[in-house]
Amino acid sequence: MPGISELSSSKKRKSAKNGGAPSKRRAVAEDNFAETLSKIQELENQIAESRKYYNNIATLISMLNVEPSAKEPELAVAVSLCRVFTRLIAAGNFTESNRAAENEKIVVAWLKERCLEYQRALMAIMREADPSSQVTALTLAMRLVKERITHIPGADNSIWSSFFREIVEAVVEATNGQELQSEFVTKFVKEFEDVRYFTFTRLAEYANVRRSHETLDSLISILSACEDVPADNHEFETFFVPRETITKQLKSVNSHKKRAQEAWLAILRNNLSQAQRKSLLRIMVHNIEPWFSRPELLMDFLTDSYNVGGATSLLALSGLFYLIQEKNLDYPQFYTKLYSLLDADLLHSKHRSRFFRLLNTFLASTHLPVTLVASFIKRLSRLALNAPPSAIVVIVPFMYNLFKSHPTCTFMMHRTIRDKRFAAEVEKEGMDDPFDAEESDPTRTNAIESSLWEIETLQSHYHPNVAAIARIISEQFTKQAYNLEDFLDHTYQGMVESDLGTGERPLRKTPVVEYQIPKRIFTDRLLEEDGGVDSGPAVFMRGLWDF
Amino acid sequence: MPPSQLKQLKASLRDTGVIGPQQSKKQKRQNAKTGAAAQNRNQRNAALQAIRDRFNPFEIKAPSNRSKFESTTRDGGSTAAKGFRPGVTKSLGEERRRATLLEEMKGRNKVGGLVDRRFGENDPTMTPEERAAERFARESQKKMRKESMFNLEDEEDEFQLTHMGQSLTLDGKTLDDFDADGLDGDESDDEASRKRKRVPAEDGEDEDFIDYGAEGEGEDQPERKKSKAEVMKEVIAKSKFHKHERQQAKEDDDDLRDELDKELPDLFDALRGMKAPPKEKEPAQQDLADMNPERAAMMQEPEKKDAEKEYDQRLKQFTFDKRSQPTDRTKTEEEKIEEEAERLKKLEEDRVKRMRGEKVSDEEEEEDDDKDSFFAGDESEEEEDDAMAFGLPTSSQQPRADMGVEDEDDFVIDDDLVETRSNVSLSLDGSDMEEEELSDDEEPNVPEQEDEQINGMTLPTSTAETSVGISQSSSGKLAFTYPCPADHDEFLELIKNVPTQDVPTIVQRIRALHHPRLKPGNKDKLGKFAEILVEHIAYMADETEQPSFAAIENILRHIHSLAKSHAINVATAFRARLREISKERPLNLIPGDLVVLTGISTIFPTSDHFHAVSTPAHLCIARYLGQCNVTTLTDLASGAFAASLIVQYQAVSKRYMPEFINYVLNALCNLSPTQVATDIGAFPPRRTAESLRLTSSKKIASRKLQFNDVINAPTDPKAEEELKMSLVATFASLLSSSSDIWAEKSAFIEIFTPAQTVLQHLNQSFKNKVLPVKSSLDKITTHISESRLARRPLFLHDHRPLAIKSAIPKFEENFNPDKHYDPDRERAETNRLKKEYKREKKGAMRELRKDASFVAREKLREKKERDTEYEKKYKKLIAEIQSEEGRAANDYERAKRARQGKH
Repeated sequence: MPGISELSSSKKRKSAKNGGAPSKRRAVAEDNFAETLSKIQELENQIAESRKYYNNIATLISMLNVEPSAKEPELAVAVSLCRVFTRLIAAGNFTESNRAAENEKIVVAWLKERCLEYQRALMAIMREADPSSQVTALTLAMRLVKERITHIPGADNSIWSSFFREIVEAVVEATNGQELQSEFVTKFVKEFEDVRYFTFTRLAEYANVRRSHETLDSLISILSACEDVPADNHEFETFFVPRETITKQLKSVNSHKKRAQEAWLAILRNNLSQAQRKSLLRIMVHNIEPWFSRPELLMDFLTDSYNVGGATSLLALSGLFYLIQEKNLDYPQFYTKLYSLLDADLLHSKHRSRFFRLLNTFLASTHLPVTLVASFIKRLSRLALNAPPSAIVVIVPFMYNLFKSHPTCTFMMHRTIRDKRFAAEVEKEGMDDPFDAEESDPTRTNAIESSLWEIETLQSHYHPNVAAIARIISEQFTKQAYNLEDFLDHTYQGMVESDLGTGERPLRKTPVVEYQIPKRIFTDRLLEEDGGVDSGPAVFMRGLWDF
Repeated sequence: MPPSQLKQLKASLRDTGVIGPQQSKKQKRQNAKTGAAAQNRNQRNAALQAIRDRFNPFEIKAPSNRSKFESTTRDGGSTAAKGFRPGVTKSLGEERRRATLLEEMKGRNKVGGLVDRRFGENDPTMTPEERAAERFARESQKKMRKESMFNLEDEEDEFQLTHMGQSLTLDGKTLDDFDADGLDGDESDDEASRKRKRVPAEDGEDEDFIDYGAEGEGEDQPERKKSKAEVMKEVIAKSKFHKHERQQAKEDDDDLRDELDKELPDLFDALRGMKAPPKEKEPAQQDLADMNPERAAMMQEPEKKDAEKEYDQRLKQFTFDKRSQPTDRTKTEEEKIEEEAERLKKLEEDRVKRMRGEKVSDEEEEEDDDKDSFFAGDESEEEEDDAMAFGLPTSSQQPRADMGVEDEDDFVIDDDLVETRSNVSLSLDGSDMEEEELSDDEEPNVPEQEDEQINGMTLPTSTAETSVGISQSSSGKLAFTYPCPADHDEFLELIKNVPTQDVPTIVQRIRALHHPRLKPGNKDKLGKFAEILVEHIAYMADETEQPSFAAIENILRHIHSLAKSHAINVATAFRARLREISKERPLNLIPGDLVVLTGISTIFPTSDHFHAVSTPAHLCIARYLGQCNVTTLTDLASGAFAASLIVQYQAVSKRYMPEFINYVLNALCNLSPTQVATDIGAFPPRRTAESLRLTSSKKIASRKLQFNDVINAPTDPKAEEELKMSLVATFASLLSSSSDIWAEKSAFIEIFTPAQTVLQHLNQSFKNKVLPVKSSLDKITTHISESRLARRPLFLHDHRPLAIKSAIPKFEENFNPDKHYDPDRERAETNRLKKEYKREKKGAMRELRKDASFVAREKLREKKERDTEYEKKYKKLIAEIQSEEGRAANDYERAKRARQGKH
């Protein structure tokens, strides 16, 4: 395999370089290093020469320096051991024929023992060592996997299910394993489809047990990296191991998807932290759902998330909507739930535009009851009173569109009281807002009886553009609809920039200057001249602050 | 069916009297005698021509598209039905070309020549007599003009031709035997008649000319030919008449001028408010009034000298007079005050209009002024505002008011700035000198008194202001002249060793030294300087531990004053600062930013619907309030400052800012000693990372917040608690003032109910003991109940219902195709212009084409002429040769025959 050989050779080159370039300051250490290198080389050569030197393998393993902890492994030894084992496997020394002699069998068993020992050592390195050693160990381990599957007939199942499982676990559980994991994903999982298949299988097994948050994090990162879902007629071409050992299962799209689905489900069922849940929901539509041949399995997860409330609910909404739309999911009280999402934080959340896009879809139907639509309108207008300008500019055109499609709601903007007695009462005592903000059922809030005083108030918003937008509800509704997309992604920064420009351009108009120069700004200058009565524009500041 | 052509011809001939019953011989003879025959002949010719035209169908071209329906195109009949006469137009065009183009062609490739510049030579509308008359008139005018005074010949009525000392007269008994009458033939008759015809067409001045002619001849008599002599006489008479008239007019003018001159001293006296001096010389002048002024002047030589002397005196007096005093003097004090009030009212109205986002009445002017915004007149007006802004009394003791309109001189205003009395700079002798020098440069003739007043303004009051605490000695060390810095670093270099309190003095001096009147480049320099000052106030607030607000305030006022003339520079500088804020630290305002934002609130009208500076400033503050992270008390203090700024910004326009409410409520929640119930309203809760709650339950007095709280965090826990308490008090009073501002909002209840809840909670936890909380709670509660009383259902769509789209075509009564019915005037205008252009282009192209064909035709004709000439010559030569040859042949034949005969 090019990857492995290249990598190992580069490692070799590196170590050789390290050995070959003596530094004066650490001459002694270098000498030691060179000595060990030559010793390793000698031991390796002896193994290749004759079987009587097989004990050197044990010596080399002991030289790996992994026994108490694998923090500082001898990589050169590991590399040379890998070469030794590769050579032995290729030479068929690991296959025992029935007819073989007893002592032969003993040798094979002994060799296997050593090999296992070596594998364990590699795993230890992968779990504990520094990132570069981890990556090297991974490469060596994968090389062993390949060699063993290639040269030992019938070993594939056991290798994939035992040795590879250990590798996957080591990768997932490695300390500081980000580099190792990304190496694993890019070099193996994404590259080779069979590796991906078995990774899914192993991860599903692995995630079936309750795991810690950190482990789940790395699981999610590995899984979400597998983005390219094979199409239905996909031909599997790239395999890690020779074609002869590939089973039929490995060539079917469905079984691939099934493995991925199992893996994902195992993760989703695990104990996820709130942040993980959110990040999963965020990638749900693009990364997770395509792997699912039966997306309805996601239902539980989505409804659970939807019930959490807050931003999680917002994020679950799109996945849920997908299920409702595509899989005919029946979600009772959907609109009630949706209505409850309109809380004080919604308009300040960074998922605001995402939510409004969806809300636009949900409320697009003209068959919705008018009371419900009115409740949404009123609730939004209440929220707009405390919203940033970028949210207000979305809400008002959105309302406009709702008014257009539900003309009955226009009572909220224009209401003549026909009942004489009630009119007189209102004239005398004023009125309360009939809208019940506490009611959670949007069909019972009585919003249709209310008026949009909030938006009318926003017509005097401090920012002229926002005020102008708020004014559209009191003008004639001549426009068919506003394109919501144009209003969605405004920010403070954008608004400031549109007012100020990015660079200095000459002003088109001379700005008006206050005609009166105030006598006082910060101090009580000349106060006695005005008879001690403070007046003028800055009087308020002076009243509150001492300068 | 109409009668045949022949019959029609006969009928028309008979109608016009061309053919008729035969005249008797007697009649004929009689006619011949009276000359009626000739007239008849003429008449007959004209009639025949008319008939010919009428009966020649090829002369008249029928209109290409006859009007079909009389009813639809009512006015079409008049022009189109007649048809045109292409032959006539063509020949006319040909004629014209022959006159112009052909001449040009002939003159082509020819250089030089004579230009006849005699008067009227090329004017075909003039008769030769008119020409002669006009030339004569001009000639004599020329003479008159040149030496009218010493023209001896002027005395004579006319110059006479003499012969041997005897005068030659052309009229009366004729000495000449030359009979002019007999010589003048038909031709002159013709001319005379032509002239008569033309005369009425000339301007009215020639009317008398006709009279001359008419007197001599009488209307009914047949036209008598005029002799050359008569014509000349007429001409002379006319020119004399004109001359007389001119003189008359000149004399009239002079008289009038004299009269005016006489009144002038009175007028001056009246203007100056002095009593008019007694008029002594009135009778004499009366006499002179109807005389020729020149002669009158000659007669009154000594008096004139007196007058000159007096005039000189007056002139000198005027130069010493205060200029433009009269205009101001006429106004009484009340009027002035009233005017000021009026002006302020207008400015206020403009502001309200801008607040509502309407166009200000003189918006257009302003826009015009944009290009040259430093237009002098504009400036003067604004400078006057300055004066008012400083609250300078306009009483009569203040001579500044007398400086008035024409003198609008920023210098005075600058002195006003000095008059702010916060600094002592100009009380120094040196600077006084400087001022004097400068103002002397400005106006050499300003009386002493005035200078005193300018500087006097500073002198007595300089010591009055002690709060600023500037010692005379400190400013005494300052230099008197400073270069105008080009950037902030230079300015810092300039003020490196100067105490902060004296910086305004330096600013003042730089402004005075680089007054725009002193040098043309100063205007730009000061603009740049204004930008530097904006940078500097932020710098002052940022760099120093305890910024000197007296100095900052003073500089801000300087910036404000500069902004009146350099609005663009100042606005640009402020905008640059705002941009920097929004780019680098939108959620972390530093003290300098707060000071700049405060400056914006005083320099620019924050109530405008849209303003290039204050709108972004609003956004900046709102963004800070809406998104900043509160971790320390310092953050809360600067938030409180920003929030108070918002209240100040919106004091007039009362616009709503959601971020303000959110921030204040969150701050109160975070500061409250006990946790406020979570579900209190629509504002998004923001918890601080570490608790900022008031801890102790014991009484803590709140104090007024200080700007220092924004900069430095309190050190010991006690001070911290005190600060917390003061913050609570400040936020509570902010809520109460904002509730005052927004009391009219229709959603007041919804906005302030959460505030009410929070304040109630605080009030409970303070057990009614913190006064600001209690009072603002009360206020908000009353406002809410008032707002409830005022609440009515919305009535937004009370506008006229939209008309249903109609599909009936728009029908115009009395439609006229020539009229434009386009409601869009601009489009109609462009269409009209386009049409005109097209028509003109077509016409021009046609003309050019015709010209070209004319030129080609002419060339061809010339060529043909040349060819025929050549042919002729050739033939002639051939014939000559042939005849010669023939003769030679004959000779030869003859000789031959003779020779043969010999044989």
